[in-house]
Amino acid sequence: MAVKSLIKRNYDKQPQLNYPDYKSSILRAPKKDKVFFPSSPSEVSGPIFNKNIIRKFDNDLTLNFSQNNASPIGHKIIVHGTIRDQFLKPIEGALIEIWQANAGGKYFHNKDQNIAAIDPNFAGCGRCITENNGTYEFITIQPGPYPYPNRGVEWRPMHIHFSIFGKSFGQRLITQMYFEGDPLIDFCPMVNSIPDKKAKKSLIGSLDRTQSNTKQLLAYKFDIILRGSNQTFFENRTEGL
Amino acid sequence: MNYPKNTTDETPFQTAGPFLHIGCLPNTININGIYQNDLGEKPFINKDTNDFISISGSVFDGSGQALDDVMLETWQSDENGVYTPDNGFARFVPNSISKKYKLSTIKPGSVQNFDGSLQSPHISFSISSRGINMNLNTRMYFEGDNLFKDPLLSMIKKSNNDVSSLIASKIDDTSFIFNIFLQGDKETIFLDV
Repeated sequence: MAVKSLIKRNYDKQPQLNYPDYKSSILRAPKKDKVFFPSSPSEVSGPIFNKNIIRKFDNDLTLNFSQNNASPIGHKIIVHGTIRDQFLKPIEGALIEIWQANAGGKYFHNKDQNIAAIDPNFAGCGRCITENNGTYEFITIQPGPYPYPNRGVEWRPMHIHFSIFGKSFGQRLITQMYFEGDPLIDFCPMVNSIPDKKAKKSLIGSLDRTQSNTKQLLAYKFDIILRGSNQTFFENRTEGL
Repeated sequence: MNYPKNTTDETPFQTAGPFLHIGCLPNTININGIYQNDLGEKPFINKDTNDFISISGSVFDGSGQALDDVMLETWQSDENGVYTPDNGFARFVPNSISKKYKLSTIKPGSVQNFDGSLQSPHISFSISSRGINMNLNTRMYFEGDNLFKDPLLSMIKKSNNDVSSLIASKIDDTSFIFNIFLQGDKETIFLDV
Protein backbone atom coordinates (compact mmCIF):
# COMPACT_ATOMS: atom_id res chain seq x y z
CA MET A 1 0.00 0.00 0.00
CA ALA A 2 1.17 3.52 -0.70
CA VAL A 3 1.23 6.19 1.94
CA LYS A 4 1.52 9.73 0.71
CA SER A 5 2.33 12.58 3.01
CA LEU A 6 2.88 16.23 2.36
CA ILE A 7 6.23 17.58 3.47
CA LYS A 8 5.96 19.28 6.85
CA ARG A 9 5.59 23.04 6.48
CA ASN A 10 8.53 25.16 7.52
CA TYR A 11 6.89 28.10 9.30
CA ASP A 12 10.22 29.96 9.60
CA LYS A 13 9.89 30.68 5.89
CA GLN A 14 6.25 31.77 6.07
CA PRO A 15 4.62 35.02 7.24
CA GLN A 16 3.70 35.40 10.89
CA LEU A 17 -0.05 35.33 11.35
CA ASN A 18 0.00 37.90 14.12
CA TYR A 19 1.98 40.84 12.76
CA PRO A 20 0.69 44.02 14.43
CA ASP A 21 2.44 46.32 11.93
CA TYR A 22 -0.21 44.99 9.57
CA LYS A 23 -3.19 46.14 11.59
CA SER A 24 -5.80 43.88 10.03
CA SER A 25 -3.95 40.86 11.40
CA ILE A 26 -4.48 41.90 15.02
CA LEU A 27 -8.08 40.70 15.30
CA ARG A 28 -7.80 37.96 12.70
CA ALA A 29 -4.70 35.96 13.67
CA PRO A 30 -5.52 32.92 15.82
CA LYS A 31 -3.63 32.90 19.13
CA LYS A 32 -3.31 29.17 19.64
CA ASP A 33 -0.78 26.97 17.88
CA LYS A 34 -1.96 25.00 14.90
CA VAL A 35 -2.43 21.28 15.47
CA PHE A 36 -0.14 19.12 13.38
CA PHE A 37 -1.28 15.68 12.22
CA PRO A 38 -0.09 13.21 9.59
CA SER A 39 -1.52 13.78 6.10
CA SER A 40 -4.62 11.75 5.28
CA PRO A 41 -6.31 11.29 1.90
CA SER A 42 -8.31 14.44 2.75
CA GLU A 43 -5.17 16.61 2.52
CA VAL A 44 -3.35 14.66 -0.20
CA SER A 45 -6.28 14.68 -2.61
CA GLY A 46 -7.63 17.88 -4.10
CA PRO A 47 -9.72 19.36 -6.86
CA ILE A 48 -8.22 19.15 -10.34
CA PHE A 49 -9.48 21.63 -12.89
CA ASN A 50 -10.05 20.74 -16.49
CA LYS A 51 -8.46 22.85 -19.24
CA ASN A 52 -11.90 23.23 -20.81
CA ILE A 53 -12.85 25.84 -18.18
CA ILE A 54 -10.23 28.18 -19.65
CA ARG A 55 -11.42 30.42 -22.45
CA LYS A 56 -9.33 32.09 -25.11
CA PHE A 57 -8.47 35.35 -23.32
CA ASP A 58 -8.60 34.17 -19.72
CA ASN A 59 -4.85 34.72 -19.40
CA ASP A 60 -4.81 38.05 -21.25
CA LEU A 61 -6.12 40.71 -18.89
CA THR A 62 -5.64 43.39 -21.53
CA LEU A 63 -8.29 41.72 -23.73
CA ASN A 64 -10.64 39.76 -21.45
CA PHE A 65 -12.63 42.81 -20.33
CA SER A 66 -11.92 45.31 -23.08
CA GLN A 67 -14.98 47.02 -24.51
CA ASN A 68 -15.07 47.34 -28.31
CA ASN A 69 -11.42 46.24 -28.46
CA ALA A 70 -10.22 49.33 -26.61
CA SER A 71 -6.96 48.96 -24.72
CA PRO A 72 -6.67 49.42 -20.99
CA ILE A 73 -4.52 52.33 -19.81
CA GLY A 74 -0.95 51.60 -18.82
CA HIS A 75 1.87 49.54 -20.23
CA LYS A 76 1.42 45.90 -21.09
CA ILE A 77 3.58 43.34 -19.37
CA ILE A 78 4.14 39.60 -19.52
CA VAL A 79 4.23 37.68 -16.25
CA HIS A 80 5.45 34.13 -16.65
CA GLY A 81 7.17 31.35 -14.78
CA THR A 82 7.13 27.72 -13.76
CA ILE A 83 5.32 25.96 -10.95
CA ARG A 84 7.32 23.20 -9.34
CA ASP A 85 7.12 21.16 -6.16
CA GLN A 86 9.76 21.18 -3.43
CA PHE A 87 11.72 18.51 -5.32
CA LEU A 88 11.72 20.92 -8.30
CA LYS A 89 9.46 18.65 -10.33
CA PRO A 90 7.29 20.79 -12.66
CA ILE A 91 3.57 20.62 -11.89
CA GLU A 92 1.31 20.21 -14.89
CA GLY A 93 -2.36 21.11 -14.67
CA ALA A 94 -2.09 23.56 -11.77
CA LEU A 95 -4.75 26.28 -11.82
CA ILE A 96 -3.45 29.83 -11.33
CA GLU A 97 -5.88 32.67 -10.73
CA ILE A 98 -4.59 36.25 -10.51
CA TRP A 99 -6.11 39.59 -9.59
CA GLN A 100 -4.68 43.09 -9.39
CA ALA A 101 -5.28 46.84 -9.42
CA ASN A 102 -5.23 48.78 -12.69
CA ALA A 103 -2.42 51.09 -13.84
CA GLY A 104 -3.65 53.82 -11.50
CA GLY A 105 -3.68 51.54 -8.45
CA LYS A 106 -7.48 51.13 -8.41
CA TYR A 107 -9.29 47.82 -8.03
CA PHE A 108 -12.46 47.07 -9.97
CA HIS A 109 -14.32 46.63 -6.68
CA ASN A 110 -16.96 48.84 -5.05
CA LYS A 111 -15.22 48.57 -1.67
CA ASP A 112 -11.98 50.15 -2.96
CA GLN A 113 -11.81 53.65 -1.42
CA ASN A 114 -8.82 54.80 -3.45
CA ILE A 115 -9.68 57.97 -5.38
CA ALA A 116 -7.93 56.79 -8.57
CA ALA A 117 -10.13 56.09 -11.61
CA ILE A 118 -11.67 52.80 -12.69
CA ASP A 119 -10.50 51.66 -16.10
CA PRO A 120 -13.60 50.44 -17.97
CA ASN A 121 -11.42 48.16 -20.10
CA PHE A 122 -9.66 46.43 -17.24
CA ALA A 123 -11.26 44.19 -14.58
CA GLY A 124 -7.94 42.82 -13.33
CA CYS A 125 -8.68 39.11 -13.18
CA GLY A 126 -7.21 36.24 -15.14
CA ARG A 127 -6.49 32.55 -14.92
CA CYS A 128 -4.66 29.74 -16.65
CA ILE A 129 -3.64 26.12 -16.20
CA THR A 130 0.03 25.15 -16.33
CA GLU A 131 1.44 23.31 -19.34
CA ASN A 132 3.08 19.87 -19.09
CA ASN A 133 6.42 21.53 -18.24
CA GLY A 134 4.77 23.48 -15.42
CA THR A 135 4.91 26.85 -17.18
CA TYR A 136 2.33 29.61 -17.23
CA GLU A 137 2.03 33.02 -18.87
CA PHE A 138 -0.19 36.05 -18.39
CA ILE A 139 -0.40 39.26 -20.37
CA THR A 140 -1.57 42.17 -18.25
CA ILE A 141 -1.04 45.82 -17.37
CA GLN A 142 1.60 46.96 -14.91
CA PRO A 143 -0.43 47.48 -11.70
CA GLY A 144 0.06 50.80 -9.93
CA PRO A 145 1.03 51.23 -6.28
CA TYR A 146 -1.73 52.62 -4.07
CA PRO A 147 -2.32 54.16 -0.63
CA TYR A 148 -4.34 52.26 1.97
CA PRO A 149 -5.22 52.83 5.62
CA ASN A 150 -2.94 50.96 8.03
CA ARG A 151 -0.74 52.91 10.45
CA GLY A 152 -2.08 56.10 9.00
CA VAL A 153 -1.83 56.05 5.24
CA GLU A 154 0.69 53.62 3.79
CA TRP A 155 1.52 52.52 0.27
CA ARG A 156 1.26 49.03 -1.14
CA PRO A 157 4.08 48.19 -3.53
CA MET A 158 2.97 47.18 -7.02
CA HIS A 159 1.75 43.60 -6.83
CA ILE A 160 -0.34 40.86 -8.38
CA HIS A 161 -2.31 38.40 -6.22
CA PHE A 162 -1.84 34.72 -7.06
CA SER A 163 -4.04 31.79 -6.03
CA ILE A 164 -2.80 28.31 -6.94
CA PHE A 165 -4.25 24.83 -6.83
CA GLY A 166 -1.79 21.98 -7.39
CA LYS A 167 -2.84 18.37 -6.95
CA SER A 168 -3.58 18.34 -3.21
CA PHE A 169 -5.86 20.52 -1.10
CA GLY A 170 -2.92 20.70 1.32
CA GLN A 171 -0.80 22.30 -1.44
CA ARG A 172 -3.16 25.23 -1.81
CA LEU A 173 -1.22 28.53 -1.99
CA ILE A 174 -2.35 32.16 -2.00
CA THR A 175 0.38 34.77 -2.36
CA GLN A 176 1.43 37.99 -4.07
CA MET A 177 4.10 38.78 -6.63
CA TYR A 178 6.06 42.01 -6.35
CA PHE A 179 8.17 43.76 -8.99
CA GLU A 180 11.94 43.94 -9.04
CA GLY A 181 13.23 47.39 -8.17
CA ASP A 182 10.06 48.69 -6.47
CA PRO A 183 11.31 50.81 -3.50
CA LEU A 184 8.01 50.30 -1.63
CA ILE A 185 8.62 46.56 -1.09
CA ASP A 186 10.98 47.12 1.86
CA PHE A 187 8.42 49.18 3.75
CA CYS A 188 5.41 46.91 3.25
CA PRO A 189 4.23 45.28 6.50
CA MET A 190 2.59 42.44 4.58
CA VAL A 191 5.93 41.60 2.98
CA ASN A 192 7.73 42.14 6.27
CA SER A 193 5.42 39.70 8.07
CA ILE A 194 7.79 37.13 6.49
CA PRO A 195 10.84 37.15 8.78
CA ASP A 196 13.16 35.27 6.43
CA LYS A 197 14.98 37.52 3.96
CA LYS A 198 15.44 34.92 1.25
CA ALA A 199 11.78 33.88 1.49
CA LYS A 200 10.74 37.51 1.19
CA LYS A 201 12.90 37.94 -1.90
CA SER A 202 11.36 34.88 -3.53
CA LEU A 203 8.13 36.88 -3.96
CA ILE A 204 9.79 39.43 -6.23
CA GLY A 205 9.30 38.78 -9.93
CA SER A 206 12.51 39.49 -11.79
CA LEU A 207 12.80 41.54 -14.95
CA ASP A 208 13.30 39.13 -17.85
CA ARG A 209 15.26 41.15 -20.37
CA THR A 210 15.48 38.39 -22.99
CA GLN A 211 11.70 38.03 -23.28
CA SER A 212 11.20 41.78 -22.90
CA ASN A 213 13.35 42.39 -25.95
CA THR A 214 12.03 39.62 -28.18
CA LYS A 215 8.35 40.17 -27.40
CA GLN A 216 8.58 43.95 -27.08
CA LEU A 217 6.66 43.91 -23.80
CA LEU A 218 8.34 44.17 -20.43
CA ALA A 219 8.45 40.65 -19.03
CA TYR A 220 8.71 39.51 -15.41
CA LYS A 221 9.55 35.99 -14.31
CA PHE A 222 7.97 34.57 -11.18
CA ASP A 223 8.60 30.93 -10.32
CA ILE A 224 6.51 29.27 -7.64
CA ILE A 225 7.19 26.31 -5.39
CA LEU A 226 4.26 24.28 -4.00
CA ARG A 227 4.64 21.72 -1.24
CA GLY A 228 6.07 18.37 -2.22
CA SER A 229 4.92 15.01 -0.97
CA ASN A 230 6.69 11.82 0.01
CA GLN A 231 5.41 8.45 -1.01
CA THR A 232 6.33 5.32 0.88
CA PHE A 233 5.20 1.76 0.21
CA PHE A 234 4.71 -1.01 2.71
CA GLU A 235 2.99 -4.38 2.79
CA ASN A 236 -0.67 -4.41 3.67
CA ARG A 237 -1.17 -5.27 7.29
CA THR A 238 -4.51 -6.64 8.42
CA GLU A 239 -4.19 -5.77 12.08
CA GLY A 240 -6.73 -3.30 13.30
CA LEU A 241 -8.92 -3.67 10.24
CA MET B 1 10.59 18.19 13.10
CA ASN B 2 12.88 17.22 10.25
CA TYR B 3 12.55 18.73 6.86
CA PRO B 4 13.74 16.47 4.07
CA LYS B 5 17.13 17.41 2.72
CA ASN B 6 17.51 18.55 -0.86
CA THR B 7 14.14 20.21 -0.99
CA THR B 8 13.46 23.80 -1.95
CA ASP B 9 11.41 26.04 0.32
CA GLU B 10 7.73 26.41 -0.41
CA THR B 11 6.82 29.88 -1.74
CA PRO B 12 5.64 32.06 1.16
CA PHE B 13 1.97 32.95 1.50
CA GLN B 14 0.57 36.47 1.54
CA THR B 15 -2.87 37.72 2.43
CA ALA B 16 -5.57 37.40 -0.23
CA GLY B 17 -6.54 40.99 0.66
CA PRO B 18 -9.96 42.65 0.69
CA PHE B 19 -10.56 42.40 -3.07
CA LEU B 20 -10.15 38.65 -3.53
CA HIS B 21 -13.58 38.49 -5.24
CA ILE B 22 -12.03 40.00 -8.39
CA GLY B 23 -9.83 36.97 -8.93
CA CYS B 24 -11.76 34.23 -7.17
CA LEU B 25 -15.47 35.08 -7.44
CA PRO B 26 -15.74 37.79 -10.11
CA ASN B 27 -19.36 37.08 -11.04
CA THR B 28 -20.45 37.83 -7.46
CA ILE B 29 -19.26 41.44 -7.86
CA ASN B 30 -20.69 41.91 -11.33
CA ILE B 31 -17.52 41.25 -13.26
CA ASN B 32 -19.48 39.22 -15.77
CA GLY B 33 -18.47 37.80 -19.09
CA ILE B 34 -14.91 36.80 -18.29
CA TYR B 35 -15.56 33.45 -16.58
CA GLN B 36 -18.78 31.65 -17.45
CA ASN B 37 -19.08 30.38 -13.88
CA ASP B 38 -17.20 31.17 -10.74
CA LEU B 39 -15.02 28.31 -9.57
CA GLY B 40 -16.61 26.05 -6.94
CA GLU B 41 -20.11 27.44 -7.44
CA LYS B 42 -21.51 23.94 -6.95
CA PRO B 43 -19.53 21.21 -5.18
CA PHE B 44 -21.26 18.33 -6.99
CA ILE B 45 -22.66 19.00 -10.43
CA ASN B 46 -24.38 15.71 -11.22
CA LYS B 47 -25.92 14.83 -7.86
CA ASP B 48 -29.57 15.18 -6.97
CA THR B 49 -29.94 18.34 -4.91
CA ASN B 50 -32.85 16.73 -3.04
CA ASP B 51 -30.21 14.73 -1.19
CA PHE B 52 -28.23 17.81 -0.21
CA ILE B 53 -27.65 19.01 3.31
CA SER B 54 -27.10 22.64 4.20
CA ILE B 55 -24.34 24.05 6.35
CA SER B 56 -24.37 27.64 7.43
CA GLY B 57 -22.47 29.85 9.83
CA SER B 58 -20.26 32.88 10.23
CA VAL B 59 -16.59 33.63 10.66
CA PHE B 60 -15.95 35.81 13.72
CA ASP B 61 -12.91 37.98 14.43
CA GLY B 62 -11.43 38.72 17.85
CA SER B 63 -13.92 41.50 18.53
CA GLY B 64 -16.84 39.14 17.95
CA GLN B 65 -17.71 40.72 14.62
CA ALA B 66 -19.00 38.40 11.88
CA LEU B 67 -16.91 39.00 8.75
CA ASP B 68 -18.22 39.48 5.24
CA ASP B 69 -14.90 39.95 3.44
CA VAL B 70 -13.67 36.42 4.05
CA MET B 71 -13.56 33.59 1.49
CA LEU B 72 -14.22 29.98 2.45
CA GLU B 73 -13.18 27.01 0.38
CA THR B 74 -14.23 23.47 1.12
CA TRP B 75 -13.06 20.07 -0.05
CA GLN B 76 -14.85 16.84 0.70
CA SER B 77 -15.42 13.26 -0.38
CA ASP B 78 -18.58 11.92 -1.98
CA GLU B 79 -21.23 10.01 0.00
CA ASN B 80 -19.09 6.85 -0.19
CA GLY B 81 -15.99 8.46 1.28
CA VAL B 82 -14.24 8.66 -2.07
CA TYR B 83 -12.44 11.80 -3.26
CA THR B 84 -13.13 12.59 -6.91
CA PRO B 85 -10.88 15.31 -8.37
CA ASP B 86 -13.61 16.95 -10.45
CA ASN B 87 -16.20 17.16 -7.67
CA GLY B 88 -16.25 18.07 -4.00
CA PHE B 89 -14.77 21.58 -4.09
CA ALA B 90 -16.79 24.67 -3.17
CA ARG B 91 -15.90 28.33 -2.77
CA PHE B 92 -18.15 30.96 -1.22
CA VAL B 93 -18.35 34.16 0.83
CA PRO B 94 -20.79 35.16 3.59
CA ASN B 95 -23.84 37.18 2.62
CA SER B 96 -22.99 40.87 3.03
CA ILE B 97 -26.15 41.61 5.04
CA SER B 98 -26.64 38.50 7.22
CA LYS B 99 -22.84 37.84 7.39
CA LYS B 100 -23.69 34.14 7.09
CA TYR B 101 -22.37 31.70 4.55
CA LYS B 102 -24.40 28.81 3.23
CA LEU B 103 -23.07 25.64 1.66
CA SER B 104 -25.43 23.16 0.01
CA THR B 105 -23.72 19.85 -0.58
CA ILE B 106 -23.97 16.11 -0.06
CA LYS B 107 -23.06 14.63 3.28
CA PRO B 108 -19.59 13.09 2.85
CA GLY B 109 -18.98 9.43 3.71
CA SER B 110 -16.27 8.00 5.95
CA VAL B 111 -12.86 8.27 4.33
CA GLN B 112 -10.44 5.41 4.75
CA ASN B 113 -7.03 6.43 5.96
CA PHE B 114 -3.76 5.11 4.50
CA ASP B 115 -3.43 2.71 7.45
CA GLY B 116 -6.93 1.35 6.96
CA SER B 117 -8.53 3.23 9.84
CA LEU B 118 -11.74 5.11 9.09
CA GLN B 119 -12.15 8.86 9.49
CA SER B 120 -15.56 10.12 10.48
CA PRO B 121 -17.33 12.13 7.77
CA HIS B 122 -15.83 15.61 7.56
CA ILE B 123 -15.33 18.60 5.28
CA SER B 124 -11.98 20.40 5.01
CA PHE B 125 -12.11 24.21 5.17
CA SER B 126 -9.59 26.79 3.99
CA ILE B 127 -10.18 30.40 5.05
CA SER B 128 -8.65 33.48 3.42
CA SER B 129 -9.14 37.21 3.88
CA ARG B 130 -7.58 40.57 4.51
CA GLY B 131 -5.58 40.30 7.72
CA ILE B 132 -4.95 36.57 7.33
CA ASN B 133 -1.35 36.27 6.17
CA MET B 134 -1.62 32.57 5.46
CA ASN B 135 -4.88 30.73 4.72
CA LEU B 136 -6.22 28.93 7.77
CA ASN B 137 -7.16 25.28 7.57
CA THR B 138 -9.67 23.47 9.71
CA ARG B 139 -12.18 20.62 9.49
CA MET B 140 -15.88 20.28 10.14
CA TYR B 141 -17.38 17.10 11.57
CA PHE B 142 -21.11 16.41 12.10
CA GLU B 143 -22.90 16.27 15.44
CA GLY B 144 -24.79 13.01 15.72
CA ASP B 145 -22.13 10.95 13.91
CA ASN B 146 -19.95 8.44 15.71
CA LEU B 147 -16.84 10.53 16.31
CA PHE B 148 -15.12 8.33 18.89
CA LYS B 149 -12.81 6.53 16.51
CA ASP B 150 -11.85 9.40 14.27
CA PRO B 151 -8.01 9.49 14.24
CA LEU B 152 -7.65 13.30 14.23
CA LEU B 153 -10.28 13.97 16.92
CA SER B 154 -8.83 11.18 19.09
CA MET B 155 -5.35 12.63 18.74
CA ILE B 156 -6.51 16.10 19.78
CA LYS B 157 -8.51 14.71 22.73
CA LYS B 158 -5.46 12.78 23.91
CA SER B 159 -3.64 16.07 24.43
CA ASN B 160 -6.63 17.20 26.48
CA ASN B 161 -8.00 19.61 23.98
CA ASP B 162 -11.68 20.25 23.48
CA VAL B 163 -12.71 19.28 19.94
CA SER B 164 -16.13 20.95 20.01
CA SER B 165 -14.99 23.78 17.71
CA LEU B 166 -14.61 21.18 14.94
CA ILE B 167 -18.13 19.78 15.24
CA ALA B 168 -21.09 21.38 13.45
CA SER B 169 -24.32 21.59 15.47
CA LYS B 170 -27.19 19.61 14.09
CA ILE B 171 -30.45 21.52 13.58
CA ASP B 172 -32.16 18.61 11.84
CA ASP B 173 -31.14 15.73 9.58
CA THR B 174 -30.32 18.06 6.70
CA SER B 175 -29.13 21.27 8.31
CA PHE B 176 -26.08 22.08 10.35
CA ILE B 177 -24.46 25.19 11.80
CA PHE B 178 -20.71 25.62 11.77
CA ASN B 179 -19.25 28.87 13.09
CA ILE B 180 -15.56 29.66 12.91
CA PHE B 181 -13.87 31.78 15.58
CA LEU B 182 -10.51 33.30 14.67
CA GLN B 183 -9.77 34.31 18.27
CA GLY B 184 -11.24 34.37 21.77
CA ASP B 185 -12.61 31.81 24.24
CA LYS B 186 -14.16 29.81 21.44
CA GLU B 187 -11.15 30.02 19.10
CA THR B 188 -11.43 27.30 16.47
CA ILE B 189 -8.76 24.63 16.30
CA PHE B 190 -6.74 25.32 13.15
CA LEU B 191 -4.71 22.59 11.55
CA ASP B 192 -1.16 22.36 10.30
CA VAL B 193 -2.18 20.20 7.34
